[in-house]
Parts: sequence; structure tokens; C-alpha cells
Amino acid sequence: MGEFIQLVVDGLAMGSVYAALGLAIVLVNQSTGLINFAQGGMAVLSAYLTYAFAGMGLPLILAIVASVIVSFALGALIERFVMRRFEGGDPDTAVVATVGMLTLITGVCGWIWSYNNLHLASLFPAASFGLLGAAVSWRSLGTFLVILVIMLGLQALFRYTKLGLALRAVADNPASSALSGLPVGRLLMVGWGLAAGLGAVAGALVAPRLTLTPGMMDTVLVYALAAVILGGMMSPLGVVVAAWAIGVLENLAAVYVPWIGHDLKIAVPFVLLFIVLLLRPQGLFGRKTVVRV
Amino acid sequence: MTLLELEDVTAAYGRVQVLESVSLSVPDGGAVGILGANGAGKTTTLRAISGTVRVGGRITFDGKDITRLGPEKVAALGIAHVPEGRGTLPNLTVRENLMVGAYLRRDAAQVRADIDYLLELFPNLKERIGSNASALSGGEQQMLAVSRAFMAKPRLLVLDEPSLGLAPSTAKNVYDAIQRLRIESGIAMLVVEQNANLAFRIVDSAVVLETGRSVLSGSSEELRGRDEIRKAYLGG
Amino acid sequence: MSQTSFSPDLTAAVTTVPFQRRTPWWVWAIGAAVVLLLVVAPLVMDIPTNQMLARVGVFAVAVLGLNVIMGYTGQVSLGQIFFLGFGAYVTAYGVQQEWPILLTFVLAIVLPGVAGLIVAFAAARLGGLAIAMVTIALPIIGVPLAKRLSDLTGGSQGISARFSDAPEWSGLADDQWQYYLVLLIAAITFVLVYNLTRGKFGRALAIVRENENVAKAMGISPYRYKVMAFTIAAMIGGVSGFLYMVVVQYTSPETLAFHHSINLLASMVVGGAGSIAGSILGGFYYVFVPNLTNEIAPTLTALIQGIILLVVLFVLPGGLASIPHRIRRMLRSRRADTDSSPSHSK
Repeated sequence: MGEFIQLVVDGLAMGSVYAALGLAIVLVNQSTGLINFAQGGMAVLSAYLTYAFAGMGLPLILAIVASVIVSFALGALIERFVMRRFEGGDPDTAVVATVGMLTLITGVCGWIWSYNNLHLASLFPAASFGLLGAAVSWRSLGTFLVILVIMLGLQALFRYTKLGLALRAVADNPASSALSGLPVGRLLMVGWGLAAGLGAVAGALVAPRLTLTPGMMDTVLVYALAAVILGGMMSPLGVVVAAWAIGVLENLAAVYVPWIGHDLKIAVPFVLLFIVLLLRPQGLFGRKTVVRV
Repeated sequence: MTLLELEDVTAAYGRVQVLESVSLSVPDGGAVGILGANGAGKTTTLRAISGTVRVGGRITFDGKDITRLGPEKVAALGIAHVPEGRGTLPNLTVRENLMVGAYLRRDAAQVRADIDYLLELFPNLKERIGSNASALSGGEQQMLAVSRAFMAKPRLLVLDEPSLGLAPSTAKNVYDAIQRLRIESGIAMLVVEQNANLAFRIVDSAVVLETGRSVLSGSSEELRGRDEIRKAYLGG
Repeated sequence: MSQTSFSPDLTAAVTTVPFQRRTPWWVWAIGAAVVLLLVVAPLVMDIPTNQMLARVGVFAVAVLGLNVIMGYTGQVSLGQIFFLGFGAYVTAYGVQQEWPILLTFVLAIVLPGVAGLIVAFAAARLGGLAIAMVTIALPIIGVPLAKRLSDLTGGSQGISARFSDAPEWSGLADDQWQYYLVLLIAAITFVLVYNLTRGKFGRALAIVRENENVAKAMGISPYRYKVMAFTIAAMIGGVSGFLYMVVVQYTSPETLAFHHSINLLASMVVGGAGSIAGSILGGFYYVFVPNLTNEIAPTLTALIQGIILLVVLFVLPGGLASIPHRIRRMLRSRRADTDSSPSHSK
């Protein structure tokens, strides 16, 4: 029982990281219609920035905040100067552009900080506390809670603020929004900025566990994409639930199904995905999308 | 006083010249119609005004040259464009659609008052205030689109085929509502319509476009009397 | 998404086939000269060059496979390297078990094809970019899988398999024999794909790529065609895996690493999506450029490749293969501008 709880909490923690990245992907997709395959790469860059700021002497929490702010700006600039070009056109070309961005960003990280494993400290102590006979790690709990709070905050932003309304309007119908005077270009930049900021938080929280290397989030990206497909692109809640489910299930499978183990647990979400897709092509929560011809 | 003036406006999509020469004017508080067959360039003319397509010639609004301005700036100057297809924001609620219309305004209390006013005017919308815009019928969406444009408190309301896709009785209702709005607020209007009968219900004068040129203009009485108009647009 | 900005949509889709017309005579002439060169080359060149060229052939086939699903059908696939690796492993295993080489060859095509079929069954129904999102998982799952199934794959050590030594009767050196083997199989594959894409199948793919709803209205099932295209791409990937073993004679989990998939993608884009010549150019790119950038600046190599890919997308979306087409269009429009009357538009 104790081990089970531990695995669930750890799974929820990793699942939260997948959820954060998945939400970032959804955010970008909703506002600009692209799937950003570089979302994970951008999160890694943010984690390196946190590392750099911390190295300059800033306390870790401030380093993370600084990294979030810089990442926001970077995300906005990338949208404006790289991705804008591809937004009205063929979505597959845009995807390839994001893959190019991924290579570029990974290259930049490798160039500046090398390909060796670097160590980024964690916000939370390495200790555990007792809960129902299990040793629950503070780090896992902390990661889960921080990301949960941020996701709720974003939800509030979208639902209750003017900026949130504007972002949703632009995502819904940019041409029409422009006619009401909304600064569409600037709002798209904000959308990307928010996504990048979210990724920065996810990166900083997961780096202590995965160790910082340029390819750190490659696997996380894959999980995040699986969560997005399972949850449905139109449903942020679905993505989060799917991500949590993936995190927990893969952990359980790794331990309780010996053949899978920790190296093959990445296959778990995809087997799950495969089964779900065969039975319900629009994902668990997604609605059948209406295509405006 | 002339609020909007188009002088010799041209427009092309790539190699295709859609507007050869369009001239018209809308007086402050007046209502002008743009009539013409499909493909005559009516929608493009409206897009030229709201800045969603690049044009040559000159467009002046309230004395200012707006020929080169993009949609966001044009909206800020006081022109509200209800596009072809209504431009509703389908995944936002009716209330949220209206709030988006008021995006550029700073007077929150008055915005709320305006929403209440519009909901009184359009009880259908009031019923559906919390539903997503995609759940509304065609006529309701049209009223929502017009209301949303109205929320911006514009000086000029530009409407692209409000009756498109609506049953005749619904279209009549929409026009009656637009007429009420006009009377109660005094704003100027520019209305593109293929159905001249409907247009003549609310416009004082009209311009007829043919293959990208403004070929005929005059007051509603004048135009109604002319044979060509009767035959082409009023059903003989 | 509709445009709100002024600029016309210059984004020629990466997945657009350049203007198809009957191939002009000079292309045939160049083609013949190239073929001649290709056949004669290995007899005069040294071993490293022949091996280099053979590798180009291997990856040209891999890129061709990617083109079938991406360039011609318009679906982004990030997993093509997985099928290459799968084909290579099947070949290695077959050689190890001393199966008849023809059987091994056929299995190296069929087994990856079946895998592709299964993946496509699930992913193609989602539409949008689902195939992209799912295929990214293939190399990422493939690597640990290859390590784990060590009885079949030799685990992290990989498998060596020599089977492409030149037979006595040919009188050729090993590298020359390998070169010709690759040339022959690659040529056959290219010809088959060329015919496929020029015919009814290719036209259906083009319609699916342009607008799925239009395709449906015409009775063409986008789902079915995507599945078919993906399966073919996977089979071609298997062929390239077999050829890989001919040349490299060794495979390991590293063969299907994710960054190779990205390199294949980049090679396809730079070479030219949706084009036969583009696939060949892509093969050259794949073999030469990463090595080149590594030699110039090892720490900068990923950076440079990312920049190249982005620059190509911005400036030359149709890849190198679209250069003649672009030149032709520029010349044509210059001619037209001098006779047409000045337009009012900006």
C-alpha cells in the first residue's frame, strides 16, 4: 500500500509536468493553430536560464521567476519573428518549422552549456514525509501543487479577465476579432509568451529529477503530446486529467508489470492511446471537431 | 457633413482586379446602401474600408485618411464592420461576444448598461445570454453580430449582407431591429445587400456596383423608380 | 485560419508538389547523363567515395519514403527512421539466422509495412497533426525496445551482419558490389514510386493533401489513403533499412535514435518535399551535411542544422529541387510584367 501511494504521488508529479507542457501546446494551438514541437525544447532553454540565473547568485525561487519572465519574452518574440510567417498557411509546414526551432534551440543549449549533465537544485527538500505508511517525497508533492496552482491561475485568467477574453476571441476567430479592434498580433505573442512561461515552470521543476541536458524534455514532449491527443485539443481539463493518468499508470506499470520496467514504461501511454483511438477517435474528452470549410 | 468618403478606390487580389473605381459617400448619421450582383465587389468595398484588404485610391473618415490603416486602427476610429458570415465567436457565450465588441472601451459601467439595453432590444439574445454563440440560429447570430458591433459605440456601422442565409421573415426582423438601433442612436450605416427591397427599408440612398465600378447612385426614391433597378433587383 | 495581415500567403507548403507538367527534354537529357555517370562511377572511384555514394542511395530511399507520406500526402511523420531501423534489424536477424537473402529482403519490407499499417490505423483517423504527434513516439519507444529485446536485436551491442561481399562471378570489389546493389534496388524503388505518384493514386493523394473535405466529396476516403500512404512509406523505410545493412553491415539501437528522424525530415525539406529529385538531394544532404557541420564546429552542429532548416523554410520552402521551378516562374513573371498594363494594387 505504501509503495502504491508513493508511486501514485510520483506519477501525479510527473503527470503534472506532462500536463503543463501539454497545456502549453494546447495554448499555442488554440491561439495560432500550430502544434509547437519545440515546446519542450523551449522549456529546456528556460531551465538552463534558471540554472544560469541561479549561478549568478540569485536565490532559486527568483531565478525561476526571472527565467519565466525571460521565457515569456522569448516566446512572444519567437511567435512574432519566426512563426508568424507560417500561421496562415499549411499547418504541416508550420510543424516542420517548429521542428527546426527545436533543433536550433537544442543546438543553442548544447553550444552554450555543453551536452553534459548539469545539476539544477530543487525548490523542495529531498526529504520525504509519512502518509498512510508511505514515504511521500516533498519534491513530488511540491511539483504537483505548484503546477496545479499555476494551471488554476491560468484558467482564472482565461475565464475572468479581459485579457483572457481577448485571447479566447482571437483563438476563436482572429479576423473577426480584429474588426472589433483587438490587437491580434500582440495577443498572439501573449499566447506564445504564456505557453513559454508555463514551460519554464515545468522545466525548472523537472530538471532536478531528470538532470539538465539539451535533450531533457524530448521524452516529456512525447508524453505531453499523448496527453493532448487523449484529452482532446479543445479540452484543457481533459489534457490535464489524461496527463495525470499517464504519469500514474506508467509508474504503476513500471513496478507492477516487471516486463515493462522503467525503460519501456514510455510505451504505456501509447498502448493506452492506441486502444482509445481505435475505440474513440476524437480522444477521451474531445468533441468531434466541426471543420469550417 | 460627410462622414465617410471613398474616392476612386481600387483593389486587387493578386492579379485579379476586383475594384476598378468605386466612389461613394456616407453623410454623418445617414444610411447608404451598396447594391449589386454577386461578384460586383460589394464585400471587397467594405473590406477596403475596414482595412482588411489593400487598396489604391482614397478613403477618408471624419476628415482622416484611412486608406492604409489596418482593421484594428480603423475600429479604434469608430467604424464597426459586421462581415459576411457574421463573424460571431462561436465558442464564446453571447455575453462574451458582446464584451468583445466593447473591447476598446474604458467605461465599464456604461458597457454594462449598453449590454442591458441591447438585451431588452433583442429578447432572443437575452434568453440565450449564457449559451455559446454557435448554438444560436442564423437570425439570432446576425442580431448578435450587429449588437456586438454596436457595443463598440461606433460612428459608422458597416454591414455585409445582413439577410444572407436567413428566411424572409427572419431577415425582415433583423432589418427592423437594425432600423430601431439606427433611430435610437443616430449612427451612420453602410449596408451591402443583394436584396434591394430590404435595403430600401432602411437606407436613404444607395450606390450600385457593377464589376468593380460604382455605376449608379441616388436617393432611395430615385433608384426605386428606375427601370434597371426594378428589373434587376426588385423583381420587375 | 483566415488572414488579417496584408501580405499574400507566400508560404508555399512544404508539402506542395511543384508544378507538375510533362518533364521537358532537357531533364531527360540530364537524367540520362546522370544515369550513365552513376553506372560508370564506382569502376573508377576509390573505396571511400563509393561507400559515400552508396550511403547517399540508402538515405535517398529513406527520404523518398518520408516524401510519400509527407511530401505527397501532406502528413508530417517524425518516425521514418524507426522503419529504417526496423528493416535493418530484420535484415540483420535474417542474415544471422542464415535465411535465404530474398526472404530476408521481403521480410525487411513487409514487417515494417505491417507496423506502419497498425500505427496508421489508429493515428490517421484523428486527422490534423495526429500522425505527427504519434510518429514522434516511434523512435523514442523504438530505442529502449531494441535494447530490451536483446535475443532478437543483440541489445545495446547491436548486430553485425556481413552478407554483401561481392560474389566471385562479378569480378567486382566489395564496395563496388554494394554500390551497384544499392543503386539497383534504389532505382527500382524510385521508379515504382514515380509511377505511383504520377497515376491515379498520386492524384488522389494530392487531393487529400489539398483539402480533405473536397476529397470526401469526390468519394476519396482521406483515412484510407493516409493509411495506404503511411504503409507504403513504412515499406520503403524497410527497404532503406535493408540497404543500410548492405552498406553499413551493422545496426544498433542508435540507428533509430530520434535525432536521426529530425535529420531525415530536414533532409527532405532541404532536398525538396514531394519530389523525386528532392529525395535524392535529401540523401546527399543527410550524408554530407551533418558530418560537415560536425567537422567545422562540433558544438555548433545542431544549431547550424536548425538554422539551415528554418532558412530553407523561409526562403525556399520547396527545397533545392524547386530552384529550377522558381527560376522559371521568375522569368515568366518578368516577361509578363513588361506587357501587362500597370495595376492599381500595391
